[in-house]
Amino acid sequence: MKPAPFDYTRPASVSEAAAALAAGEGGAKLIAGGQSLGPMLNLRLVQPRLLVDVAGIEALHAFEETADALRIGAGITAANIEDQRIDTGAVPLLQRVAAGIAYRAVRNRGTIGGSLCHADPAADWVNLMPALGVRYELVGPSGRRTVAAADFMTAAFETVLAPDEVLETVVIPKPSAGARFGHVKIARKTGKFAMAIAVVVSDPGRGVFRALIGATHGRPLVVEEAASLLGSDGNTPDTARIGALLVEAGITEPAARQLHLTALRRAAAEAFSKALPS
Amino acid sequence: MTDIRLSVNGRPIAGACEPRTHLADFLRDRLDLTGTHLRCEQGVCGACTVLIDGAPARSCINYAVNCQGAEVTTIEGFGGDEVMSRLRTAFHEEHALQCGFCTPGMLVTARDIVLRLPEADAAQVRTELSGNLCRCTGYAGIVRAICRVLDERRGAAPVSAGRLGPVGARPGASVAGARPAMTEAGTAPAAAPGTGELGLGGRKPNLETALSFTVRRPIDEVWAVLGDIPRVARCMPGASLSAPPSDGHVEGRMSVKVGPIATNFAGAARIVREEAERRGTLYGAGRDGLSGSSARAEVTYALAPTGPDATRIDITLKTVLAGPLAQFGRSGIVKELMARLAEQFARRLEQTLEHGAPDDEAMPETSLRPLALIAGLIADKFRSLFRRAR
Ligand code: FES
Ligand code: FES
Repeated sequence: MKPAPFDYTRPASVSEAAAALAAGEGGAKLIAGGQSLGPMLNLRLVQPRLLVDVAGIEALHAFEETADALRIGAGITAANIEDQRIDTGAVPLLQRVAAGIAYRAVRNRGTIGGSLCHADPAADWVNLMPALGVRYELVGPSGRRTVAAADFMTAAFETVLAPDEVLETVVIPKPSAGARFGHVKIARKTGKFAMAIAVVVSDPGRGVFRALIGATHGRPLVVEEAASLLGSDGNTPDTARIGALLVEAGITEPAARQLHLTALRRAAAEAFSKALPS
Repeated sequence: MTDIRLSVNGRPIAGACEPRTHLADFLRDRLDLTGTHLRCEQGVCGACTVLIDGAPARSCINYAVNCQGAEVTTIEGFGGDEVMSRLRTAFHEEHALQCGFCTPGMLVTARDIVLRLPEADAAQVRTELSGNLCRCTGYAGIVRAICRVLDERRGAAPVSAGRLGPVGARPGASVAGARPAMTEAGTAPAAAPGTGELGLGGRKPNLETALSFTVRRPIDEVWAVLGDIPRVARCMPGASLSAPPSDGHVEGRMSVKVGPIATNFAGAARIVREEAERRGTLYGAGRDGLSGSSARAEVTYALAPTGPDATRIDITLKTVLAGPLAQFGRSGIVKELMARLAEQFARRLEQTLEHGAPDDEAMPETSLRPLALIAGLIADKFRSLFRRAR
């Protein structure tokens, strides 16, 4: 239960981190809070030759609220959001989801960007951001680019991130005043990996009615026009169609499908429980 | 070795340690602070919980080098702490411990609950305690003890330590232009295949998958191709044979990479073919030289004609996976991976049967991203479905 040997560097900036990753030629691995990577290193499932520690880089702890978005540094922790050390009140789901991640001792180290890049199919942030229409700003030796959350994760533990790219900022659009949210996570025990996650976002002001089915075996399923799944009132789900989508995503066990369906139903019920303000 | 400086229980500590030394080992083995207990070493049990910069954190999944410049407090460091002293009394009086193994971590977590959530009730205390496992007490005494201290302090203002970013993290020094040192690439120790027992040997499989497909080829031809082991092996993503097969006995390797997780299994297999039944079974066993995980497998294929020029192939795969890969506890993902591997194997087999052996270009033997490939496929299907729905 001890990691295989690795070397260690703590660069001072994001660009230095990207340079160190590039110099590592595939043998280098970025580490932020290390709360997912640590267990894998200890189990020797991951054996990098160099760890590039970005946890202390101040640019990654930046936070800014603009007219239409929250810009959250990738190094902000779940506990920071849980405690509202940064004011994320404009997107109410964030604090709730942050507070439900693993355990407090893990939330004190685990970062939002680290979790997104680790791309564990059951992770909380992974299964929230695509539902909120979030964009990620990535920095690499050849410059910056922006990727939509829905296009970022490609499969379990796989993303479009190049080996020498660093996720710098998570840009979360602000919902309009009439927006409604539902979020349901089903886990066997508080803090355990989720067995099903569902998110429903209804924001008529921005023309959004989106559903996310998460904690699958791969990337979450995102349905842009959720009326086709849940009915225009959000409460008449097409269970046959949802079941077919789950089977296509490899959720073949009936019990697992039922869990996902239940999570989605509950999330929709939460989002549509209160009448929309006129 | 990396030089580190940090403060432990208010004392400045300087020393050199290997980057892979986790904080708990550093505290226990170097500083003799053995009050910090270690059990799971994967962040699950909470026995190793200490304060880093005043906030609870796991010392088993944070490395000592990550704590450069940080302030660490272990269970030995709460001598004059008022809340901890109340908790000690309450734990004693409410029977909140039996063997005491979980107690250092429990107390560190309990103190955080009391300070950060002064208005917590018993239900919230239980939720907050979910990251600390106790094998003895059944938690009732622990919850009572914490509630007792909360009651004693009702009305206190919440206090939460911490800063922006991970606790314990400090900015690094500029290394611009310097090429970082890299540990030499490890070489996977060669397993000794072929000597031990092959197949499941009566063990109960922990992963099973089955699939069927039909190829447009007569059954006798399919049967003959399946007897050509090198050709069949080429259909298995990430697999390679280390020697020509002899008398149904094969040795080889298989490497699969999923994100940062890399495996490199070396193993052996015996293939038994039952001509009359048109059925074959592979009994295999292998070991991952990287993680030390082991796998045993039995793969059966059965052929049935579905027409003069068509054959159905039914494949069942039963595996016993043991070691870190199994311990990691994500059997859903591993199972999915196996199913995808089997699916890709089937597709390549179909290709080799219907169109002859494809060139190596089309069948890379080492690099494999099966989940990525398949997920892309699903996403495409999904998108087209969605377009239709609109
Ligand atoms: S030993 Fe650290 S959480 Fe179990
Ligand atoms: S008292 Fe024995 S594990 Fe908790």
